[in-house]
Amino acid sequence: MSLALTGLGVTSGIAIGRVHRLTPGELSIPEYHLDDDAVGSELERLHKAFGRGEKFLAGLLARMSEEMTETGRDLLEAHRLILRDPMLIDGTAERIRRDRINAEWALVQQADQLQAEFRRMGDEYLALRHEDLEQAVGLVRRELAEQPALFVSTQVPHRLEDTIVVATELGPAEITVLAQRKVAGLITEHGGPWSHAAILARSLEIPMLVGVHHALNLLDESEGVILDGHYGAVLAGADEGLFSHYREKREASRRRRLDLRRYLGRASLTRDGQAFTLLGNADLLPDFERCREVGVEAVGLMRTEYLYLDDALPDEDTQYRAYRAAIEAMQGRPITIRTLDAGGDKLPAMLGFTKGPNPALGLRGLRLSLSLSELFVQQIRAILRASVHGPVEILLPMLTRADEIVQARKVIERCRDELRSEGVAVDPELPVGGMIETPAAALDVDQLAGPLDFLSIGTNDLIQYVLAIDRSDELVNYLYDPTHPAVLFLLQRIQQAGARHNCPVTVCGELAGDERTARLLLGLGLNRLSMPPSVLPGIKKSLLEASAADCRRIVQAWLDDPADATGQELLERLSPE
Amino acid sequence: MISRPLTLSNRLGLHARAASKLVQTTARFDSEAWLSHGGKRVNAKSIMGVLLLGAPCGAELIAEFDGPDEDDALEAVKALVDERFGEEQ
Repeated sequence: MSLALTGLGVTSGIAIGRVHRLTPGELSIPEYHLDDDAVGSELERLHKAFGRGEKFLAGLLARMSEEMTETGRDLLEAHRLILRDPMLIDGTAERIRRDRINAEWALVQQADQLQAEFRRMGDEYLALRHEDLEQAVGLVRRELAEQPALFVSTQVPHRLEDTIVVATELGPAEITVLAQRKVAGLITEHGGPWSHAAILARSLEIPMLVGVHHALNLLDESEGVILDGHYGAVLAGADEGLFSHYREKREASRRRRLDLRRYLGRASLTRDGQAFTLLGNADLLPDFERCREVGVEAVGLMRTEYLYLDDALPDEDTQYRAYRAAIEAMQGRPITIRTLDAGGDKLPAMLGFTKGPNPALGLRGLRLSLSLSELFVQQIRAILRASVHGPVEILLPMLTRADEIVQARKVIERCRDELRSEGVAVDPELPVGGMIETPAAALDVDQLAGPLDFLSIGTNDLIQYVLAIDRSDELVNYLYDPTHPAVLFLLQRIQQAGARHNCPVTVCGELAGDERTARLLLGLGLNRLSMPPSVLPGIKKSLLEASAADCRRIVQAWLDDPADATGQELLERLSPE
Repeated sequence: MISRPLTLSNRLGLHARAASKLVQTTARFDSEAWLSHGGKRVNAKSIMGVLLLGAPCGAELIAEFDGPDEDDALEAVKALVDERFGEEQ
C-alpha cells in the first residue's frame, strides 16, 4: 500500500532511503570507539572540559566566597582539587589512548575504578566522599556535553548514506552527528522551518521535512521511502517506477549542480554586457563557507534569529564571537547583518511574551528591538565590536516609518560612543540599511531612503502583506503571486527611489533565488540579488545568458498593459528559450 | 631528587581536609611530588591519591620530590605536617 505524508520541506532536495526511527536517547548515550586519527582531538576535548569545569568552580568560589559557609567553600574547593587530580585526568586520558574510546566513556570508567578503590579502603573517615567524586565528574560530563565531539556513535547504524532518520524532534547537536554520518534525509514530527535544527539542515544541505504528523507511527523501520523536499512529501510503499523516477530526478539535479560550477568563475555580466551582483544569504558558518565557494561578492543577508533560539538569550560576547567568525570566514568580503527579525513565524521561546493577537501585524522586527532596548543595545554593540575584523553593514528589518530609522540610528550612535569611551575600536563608517518589506515602507520609500545607506527588499513579507495572504495557509496560498501587478509596481517604485537617492537596492527574498523570477527582477532594474549559496550557480547561468535590455522591454510592456497576458505568461516570455 | 620521612602527628591523619591542604601545597611547586605509605606510592598532587594512602595518625610517610624547587617543596610540606595541618589538638 502506498502512503503519502505531508510536512514542510526545509530544502527542496530529494532523498531516497530506508527509514530509521530514532528512539529517544539513542544519540545521547555517548559510548563509542574512536578512529585512530580522532584520539588527539578527543584528548584535547577532555582537557578542555576539565579546564572549563575547574574555571567554573574557581569563578563560583570567587563570586560566592563571602556568602558561603566554610563547609560550602571546602566542598567546592574539594571538587576543584578533584578536577585538577592527575589520577583522574591522566587515568582518563590513558584510557582514551589505550582503549580508543570517547572521553565520556573513559571518564566514567576511570571514576568507577577510583570509587571502587575507595570502597575497598573501608575507612570511611579517610576516604573520599562518594558524592564529591560523582559531582565533580558530573561537572566535567556537563562540559563534555556542551562541546559534543564530532563523534561516530556505535548506537545508530554506522553508514547512513541510504538512511532517512525519523524522529519526534531533532536538536542541532544530533543533526551535526547525523550529518557526519552522511545521513540521506531527515523527517521530524514537530518543529518548524525556522527551528535551529531546520536552519542547520538547510545550511548542511540535508533534505529535511518538518511537521510530519505521526511519522513515527506511520513509517516502519527499514521501509524504503522517498523524501521530496520541494513538495513537502514523504512517499512510502512507492512502486519501483516511482523510485526510479526519483532516482533519475536526483541524479539529474546532481549532474546539473556539477555542470553549473563552470559558470562560477565568469564575470557577472549579462549577454548584453549589463553588470549584476550576486550576494549570499547565510546563517551558520557552513553557509559562509559555501558563499565563498560559489564566489559571492558579499553576504547580502546574515540572519541572526538562530542566535536567539536557545533557552537563554545570547549575551554580547556570544554574539560578538558569532559575528566575528562569520566576518573572518568571508575574508574581506562585506557582510550585511540583519538585526533580530523575531516575530511572525520565528519567535524565540524566550520572547514568547511579546506575541500579540496577530503576530504578523504585531511586535516584530525592529519594533521588537526598539521596545526591548537592552536586547537591541547588546546586539548593536556586538556587531560594532566585530566590525573591526572586516567590512560590516547593519540591516534593520520590518520598517514602516522613517522615525524608526532615526531611533535605531540613535541607539547605534550611542553604542558607538560608549564603545569608544571604553577604548574599544569600532568601524566609524558602518553603513545602515533598511528592509523594505511592508506596503508602507514601499509606498513611502522616498522618505525611508533618506536616512538609510542602502535598501534591501524582503520579497516574501512584501508579497504577503501586499496581497494580504499567509503563504502557510493552505486555503489562500493559491493567491500567492509574485507577478501580481501590485507587487511589480512596488518593486519598480523601490528600484527608482533607490536610484534617485543613490541608495543601492538588494533583493533578498525568495524571488532573488528563483530562476523563474530572477530575470523578472533584472527586467525591473533590480540587479543586486542575495540568495542561498546553493541556488546561486543556477541564477548566475540564467542571468549570464539573459539580455538585460530584452528583460526590461518585456517587463515594461507588461507593466504598461498587465491585462495583455497573465503573470505566468510574463515569466515564460522571460525564461530562457 | 630528595626524599624525607615524615610522621603524621595530627589527630585525624590524612583525612579530606588535611589531604586537600597537602595537595594545594604540593601544587604550588613545579617539582613532582610523591608520598609512600604502607607499600603504596602515590602522586602527592592528586587529592584522590593522597586519600587512597589512608594514612592515619602516627603513620610514617616517605615524601619524595624531584624538580627545580624540590628543596622548597619539601620544606613547605614538612612545615605543614609539623604544624599538624593547622588543626587544633
